[in-house]
Amino acid sequence: MKIIIASLLALGFAASSAEAACYADYKAKQDDPLRLQYGVVQINGECSIETATAELTPKLAADGWQLLNVLGVFDDAGLAERRESAGEFYLRY
Amino acid sequence: MQASSISAIEARQTGNRIVIAGIAAIVLILLVAAILLFINLPDANAFNARVEQLFVENDDLTTRAEIKLLEILAQSGTAFSATLDSYRFVIFVLLVFSTSLLIAAVAFLVMLIAMNRRMGQIERKGIEVNSLMIAREQNTVLLNNIEFKLTESAIETLSVLAEARMDDEVLSGAEIEGVISGRDSSDCDEAAGATRIKRLRDTLGNQMVSELLIKNIARRGYVLAIDKDVIRMV
Repeated sequence: MKIIIASLLALGFAASSAEAACYADYKAKQDDPLRLQYGVVQINGECSIETATAELTPKLAADGWQLLNVLGVFDDAGLAERRESAGEFYLRY
Repeated sequence: MQASSISAIEARQTGNRIVIAGIAAIVLILLVAAILLFINLPDANAFNARVEQLFVENDDLTTRAEIKLLEILAQSGTAFSATLDSYRFVIFVLLVFSTSLLIAAVAFLVMLIAMNRRMGQIERKGIEVNSLMIAREQNTVLLNNIEFKLTESAIETLSVLAEARMDDEVLSGAEIEGVISGRDSSDCDEAAGATRIKRLRDTLGNQMVSELLIKNIARRGYVLAIDKDVIRMV
């Protein structure tokens, strides 16, 4: 019984740690004419600005956008407040 | 007359050299000015770069309205850069215009200097004959549009001399007498031609001096027809 509970707890922890997804918000631009973008993106790898930059640059470049900078990384708690600002670029890439 | 025309040609040659040097200097200066001007005109992308920098540097500029506003700012900057292009063209046209004006000014300046020199030479030389018109029917000769009345024989002598001058010929006294009397010059006396020349000199010289130097004012008397400042007693 104890083992089952322990294993359940362990599973639950594992699940919760897996669910603590990582997001980043960034700024990007297009030239001629100048267009600016503020967006939020989900990071699959390690939760850091470097990883976010590395993941984001090719995705944006495919659509003709140039990454300016990554503002920061955050988890689910920070998503809601950024949803309004990011608009069409909310979790687009 | 010969000497003065030679020096006039010399003046023109040095003048030409000055003109070419001056024009080259003007073109060079304005070319440098144009290049500097075009280099220093702001780039069309300067505005966009500035807006982008603002966007990156301010982390809280994230709402959609703010981003839209920044984009509009950049677009108005781009519109302004199009205006700058037209300014560039206007400036270029003005530069070309000023170049041509300056070139003309230098050319006229040098022409004026040469003209002044020539005028000075003419003034020093006294009388220089620019035109000689012989009216045989009226027995008059117009020297620089000053009318002189001559006797028939004097007009004849002057005409012969003028025709000889046009053919670049020099006539002896006997030849002059021969042409006027219609005989062969070998039959003519040298002294007869010399007498004709003397008479021509006397009448023409007398009238020229009275016209140019010693004037007769009717019922008042005689006066020297020169500026009183140029008179000096030694």
